[in-house]
Amino acid sequence: MESSPFASHFADLKPLLEVTGPAWLQSARERGFHEFETVGVPTTRDEEFKYLPLHQLTEWKMAPAHGATLDRQQVAKLTLGEIDAITLTFINGQFAPEVSTDDLLPDGVFVLPFEDAFLAMPETFEKWLGKVATTSQKLGTTNDDRFIALNTAFLQDGAFVYVPKNTKVVRPIHLQFVSDASVSPIAIHPRVLVVLEEHAEAVILESHVGQTGQYFTNPVTEVVLGAGAQLEHVRYQDETDVAVHIGNLAVHQSENSVFNSVVAQFGSAVARLDATVWVGGSNAETWLNGASVGRGEQRIDNHTRIDHAVPHCQSFEVYKTILDDHAHGVFNGKIFVYQDAQKTDAKQTNQGLLLSPTAELDTKPQLEIFADDVKCTHGATVGQLREDALFYLRARGIPKKEAEALLVYAFAAEVFEKISEPSIQAAIEARLFTKLA
Amino acid sequence: MLTITNLHAKIDEKSILKGVNLQINPGEVHAIMGPNGSGKSTLASILAGKADYEVTEGSVEFEGQDLLELDPEERAAEGLFLAFQYPVEIPGVTNTYFLRTALNNVRKHRGLPELTMSEFTKHIKSKVEMMELPSSLLSRSVNEGFSGGEKKRNEIFQMAVLEPKLCVLDETDSGLDIDALKVVSHGVNSLRSPERSVLVITHYQRLLDYIRPDFVHVLIGGKIVKSGGPELALELEADGYSRIEGELAVAA
Repeated sequence: MESSPFASHFADLKPLLEVTGPAWLQSARERGFHEFETVGVPTTRDEEFKYLPLHQLTEWKMAPAHGATLDRQQVAKLTLGEIDAITLTFINGQFAPEVSTDDLLPDGVFVLPFEDAFLAMPETFEKWLGKVATTSQKLGTTNDDRFIALNTAFLQDGAFVYVPKNTKVVRPIHLQFVSDASVSPIAIHPRVLVVLEEHAEAVILESHVGQTGQYFTNPVTEVVLGAGAQLEHVRYQDETDVAVHIGNLAVHQSENSVFNSVVAQFGSAVARLDATVWVGGSNAETWLNGASVGRGEQRIDNHTRIDHAVPHCQSFEVYKTILDDHAHGVFNGKIFVYQDAQKTDAKQTNQGLLLSPTAELDTKPQLEIFADDVKCTHGATVGQLREDALFYLRARGIPKKEAEALLVYAFAAEVFEKISEPSIQAAIEARLFTKLA
Repeated sequence: MLTITNLHAKIDEKSILKGVNLQINPGEVHAIMGPNGSGKSTLASILAGKADYEVTEGSVEFEGQDLLELDPEERAAEGLFLAFQYPVEIPGVTNTYFLRTALNNVRKHRGLPELTMSEFTKHIKSKVEMMELPSSLLSRSVNEGFSGGEKKRNEIFQMAVLEPKLCVLDETDSGLDIDALKVVSHGVNSLRSPERSVLVITHYQRLLDYIRPDFVHVLIGGKIVKSGGPELALELEADGYSRIEGELAVAA
C-alpha cells in the first residue's frame, strides 16, 4: 500500500466539513475516510486497477481543492458551449451561481446545490445518499469502492436533482464541473444525487471539463429511478490533458424504468469511469452507450457493471474506443445475472478502432450468470478502418486522408446519435470532430 | 474518352482478364454482357481503382491520361463514376454530408467553388425527385438499412449529383424489381448527352430494354469475344451464352 496524500487533506478540511450539512453526513464522511485509508491509493497489484497506474496521486503534491473564478465566456469555451439548459456549474467542486442559471422550475422539481438541498429535502437526501454507489451486498469477488468512499469522505458541495412523480422536465438539465488548477495540483471530489420518482422524466447532461493544470477529480454520481421513470443521462468528459479523472456513475432502477446512458470520454491523461447499474425492478430497460477517444499517452478505461437482480429485464450496451499514438484503453464489461433474474435479455458489444500500431486496447467481457433461462450475448472486435467503406468514399472523390477521418468520426458518432436532444448531440459531435482533427 | 488496350489482370495469382480491348467515344453507350465469372465486375473494379487487383499487362487511357496511375479519388474527380454492384453501408455518416463532401472535392478538382449547404440543397432537389428517393434517406447514414432498390437508386442519384463524364454501371439491375428498374433507367437516360458516355455491365438483357446501348460486347473467359449492335443483346437473350461458348470451342 502506498502512503495516501489524503490524510492531511482530511485533517485540514475537517473543521469546515463538520459544519457543512446534517450530522449523519459527518459520520458518513468519517466512515468513508476510514474505508479508503484502510486500502489506500490502489496499485496495479489490485485486481480492479491492474492496468491503471495512478502514480500521479502519490507523486503530485496535491492540495485540497480551493475556489477559483471563471467567467461565463471561459466556461462556455471549455464546456459544450451555450446549451439551452437548466444549468448548475461547479468550479473546483464549489457551486458557482454566477455561471449557473436561475430558472423557474415545474412544481416540486429541484435542481439545487447541496447547501440548499440539505434544507429543501433532507429526508430524500439521507434516504439515498451513499446507498446507490456501493457494491456491498452485490455479487463479485473483486468489488472495490475505495474511490467512492474517498469521495464521501470529502463530500461538501454537489448537485441535487429531484423530479416528483408524473412530472416531465422538458428542458435538459446541465450539471457542469469545471476544474482549474492554475496554482498547484489539487484534488476535487464532486458529487451528484439524482432522484426521479415514479413516472418522472428528465434529460441530464453531466460534463466534466478542465481549464488548466494538474488535478485529480473523483466525481461520484448516484441516480435513483422510481417505477416507470425515464432518464437520459449524457456524461461528457474533457479534462485537461494532464488531469486524472476517476469517475463513478451508479444507478438504481425500479420496475418499468428506463435508463439511457451516453458517455463521451475525450480528455485527461488518465480517465476511468465505472458505470454501475442495479436493475432492481422487473421490466426495466438499461441502455449503456459510450465512445472514447485517446491520443498521445492517454489512458482511458471504461468499466461497466450491470446487476440483473430481478426477472424480465433488458440491457443493451455498446462501447466504442478509438486509440491513436501510444494511447491505451481498457473495456471491462461485467454483467451479473442473479439466480432470480429469469428471462433476462442482456446484450453487450465492445468495439475498438486502433489508428496506430502502438495503441493498445484491452477488452474483458465478464458475464456471470446464475439463472438458467436467460439470453446474454457479448461481442468484442478490435480493428482498423473498413477497407470497403474507405474505397467507397474514395470512389466518390473524397481524398484518402479525409475519407479516413470521416470513418473514424463516424465510428464514434454512431454512439452519439443515441442522444435525443439535438443541441447536446451536435455540441458533442463538434467536440469529437475537433478532437480527431 | 476511354481506351482499354490488351488489359490483363489477376487477383491472388488467379488470372481474370486476359487481354480486353475496348474503345468508348463521347456520347456512346456500351454494354458488356457475360456469364458469371467472366470478369465483368473485375473490369469495373479496375476502372474505379480497387486495390485488390493487379494489372499485369496492357493499359487504360481515360481522357488522355493513364487511368491506372490515378488514385480512386482522382479518377472520380476526373469524371469516372462507378455505380457499385453492392453499395457499402457506412453507419455514422449521413447521406447528405457524404455527398456534399464528395461533390465539393470533385468541384475543387475541377476549379469550381464549393457549394454551401443551401446551394447544395438546390443542386440536388430535382435529382432527389427524379430518383424518387424519400427525403428521409438523405438524413440517414449512407446506405444503412436501405432496401436493395433504395441502394441502387441512391447510386444513380449520386451519379446525377456528381455529373461524371463516364458512368460505369456494375450490375445495377441485379436485385431490382421492374418499377425500380424503370426509375434507375430513367435516371441514367436523363444523364445521356453527347459529352457523357455510359458503360453498362450486366448479365441480363432486361436492363438494355430501358437503357438502349449503341454497342454490345460479350465478355467470356476474360476476353471480349464478340461485339455488335443492340441486336446482339437480343440474340444472347434468345440463345444464352452457351451458343457463343460453343462457337468458341469449335473455333479453337
